[in-house]
Amino acid sequence: MTTQITVTLADLTRMLRESAGEEEGVDLDGDVLNTTFIDLGYDSLALLQVIGLIQREYGITIPDDAVADAETPGALLALVNASGATTD
Amino acid sequence: MSLTGHSAVVHRLVVAAPDPGTPDSPPAALSTAVSAVLDAFGRTGRLPVRTVVYVGAPATDHALPAGHESLPVRTTPTEGRALRLAHRELLDGTADLAFVAGFGSPDPGKVTVYAVKRAAEAVADGDAVHGVLHLTDSGTDIRTDSDSDIGTGETGTGDRGTDGHAPGDHDTPPAIHPLCHGRDTACPGRHRLLLWSGRDEDDEARVRAELLPLLADEHTEAFPYLPTPRPNGAGPATGPGPVRAAVVTDARQAAAGVASAKTVTARAPRPVALLFPGQGSQHAAMAAGLYRREPVFTAAVDAALSHMGQDGPRIREDWLTTGTPHIGIDDVRRAQPLLFAVDYALGRMVLGWGVRPVALLGHSAGELVAATLAGVMSLADAAGMVMARVREAVKIPPGGMLAVGASAARVRPYLDHDVALAAVNANQQVMLAGSVPALAEVRARLTADHITVVTVPATSPFHSPAMAPASDALEKEYGAVPFREPALPLYSGYTGTLMSAEDARSPRFWARQVTDTVHFLPALDELLAAEDVLLVEAGPRQTLTAFARRHRAVRLRASAALPLLPAKPGPAETDRRSVLNAAAGLWTEGHDLNAQALSRLWTWTGTTD
Repeated sequence: MTTQITVTLADLTRMLRESAGEEEGVDLDGDVLNTTFIDLGYDSLALLQVIGLIQREYGITIPDDAVADAETPGALLALVNASGATTD
Repeated sequence: MSLTGHSAVVHRLVVAAPDPGTPDSPPAALSTAVSAVLDAFGRTGRLPVRTVVYVGAPATDHALPAGHESLPVRTTPTEGRALRLAHRELLDGTADLAFVAGFGSPDPGKVTVYAVKRAAEAVADGDAVHGVLHLTDSGTDIRTDSDSDIGTGETGTGDRGTDGHAPGDHDTPPAIHPLCHGRDTACPGRHRLLLWSGRDEDDEARVRAELLPLLADEHTEAFPYLPTPRPNGAGPATGPGPVRAAVVTDARQAAAGVASAKTVTARAPRPVALLFPGQGSQHAAMAAGLYRREPVFTAAVDAALSHMGQDGPRIREDWLTTGTPHIGIDDVRRAQPLLFAVDYALGRMVLGWGVRPVALLGHSAGELVAATLAGVMSLADAAGMVMARVREAVKIPPGGMLAVGASAARVRPYLDHDVALAAVNANQQVMLAGSVPALAEVRARLTADHITVVTVPATSPFHSPAMAPASDALEKEYGAVPFREPALPLYSGYTGTLMSAEDARSPRFWARQVTDTVHFLPALDELLAAEDVLLVEAGPRQTLTAFARRHRAVRLRASAALPLLPAKPGPAETDRRSVLNAAAGLWTEGHDLNAQALSRLWTWTGTTD
């Protein structure tokens, strides 16, 4: 049986923090959804780390070119959630 | 015309000749004159290491001093010969700054004194250029329009031939022609920066309302020349107000852009610290959108490449080609020289806007750029050091570099004597270097343990022990370079802290950079701990900006990061818009910029040569 996966902004924010090795209290607030990853300080390696985390945590596969296509957390969430990523 | 191959007069003045004293002691008079020249030009700031004084004075039977105030002095019989010798020695690299004193010019009892530099460097350094000496590379007068090629620093030193108009006349001072560098090509279709400010919010709204009618269609032709409006009621002596706004736009979109612009109330601006990226940030045609579109950047790139000998023109050709380059950009023979030239030129451009950085930090090869701007070595020596690094690196068996999404502690167990920790970039990002097969093996182990790895475009295992033979050779070569202590706070990735005067002067310190780990994160920690700053990344991509934005001090908004160039390669126009956006960021931070220098970004075009 397969289950549709939904990754929330809160999940993504936690994984963004984790992959940057951040302490508590740092600023990932505000309009994070529509801020570009580069403005948030996530270069392609950091973004690949986040995607790796999502894949492992949810047991899903995200194509590599998602890094190039998804310029903002909002776009990445849309891509992950709309891709019909499933786990079995 | 290309500036390289020309010498620019950056100061010229006439002083009264010192009292000649007795006819028996002209050397004393000359010494007095040389001191007068130095006084006339001021002794503020440091003179370049290779500053030479050229005296044009009638010969005497007396031995003339070969040095004065620790500067070498060359004596020739006439002002014309002194200027020609200065020109030759500037182009062959003997001198970086020439003080020329023509005795009895323009009248007996007077001395005409000149400060002369290589023309491209004068423009890059932001000197007010009085004019260029009308001479060819070799010191003879120009007879035709065909300007010289890129100066290779290898000009011969034989007989200089004769002047076409007056054979053998080397005694008449050469003509000084106006500097001709590019032309005005302002057009309403080019994006420009519109800046305005007010003393308070109401004042800003009034200034904006007065600006809007000027942006109407019927005034399109004037769009490139619109000045930065001053706050209402402000006299000419009043600077910009604290409530600021900026728009990057072409004429068509200007009114809409200005109407919708947000304001920022600038408090005391955080001072600027410049960051210079190294290997890994390069890409094809990086920053090429600024070449021949911004005069300081253009002159600075040309100046840097002119010190790379025969390779200079080839490197530039490969950089600007729209086809396939002879040597790819990721090859160490292109990546390192071009990163150096581009980083340096971006730094010079920002300095030309009137920005005075309080700190400099370069990553890996970028440290040489930071050191050059801090006055540790001359541009010529730095370019020579880059080329030496390249020459030695290609002798090392090919290798590569990886970027790894993990801390130094986490990757340490994966390292062995074939794979070294090359750089510590950010909390969760390090770089590894080693031979290609050894890196592949480590990569497989890291990936198996769910650690993210990407390949850094590099053909040499920089910052690993495999580079030791290169380091040894470089140490010998760098022994001949006259290093000086930094004139600005310069943070080093090799020590992770401020560079000491001792390190700056050590050939070994510079040579070891090819083998040692880059501690970028600790150096950035120190820089950001010393002061809250606006970090401006002077290089392609936004590699260091991304590291900085993951730093706690930037996250907490105590400091901020501002990249000059786009994160990804794009059309030439995106380079220019990105630079304009960065200038807008400096303005809204509260920095007052040289509006005329900025306007070159939308009014100037260089000529191809």
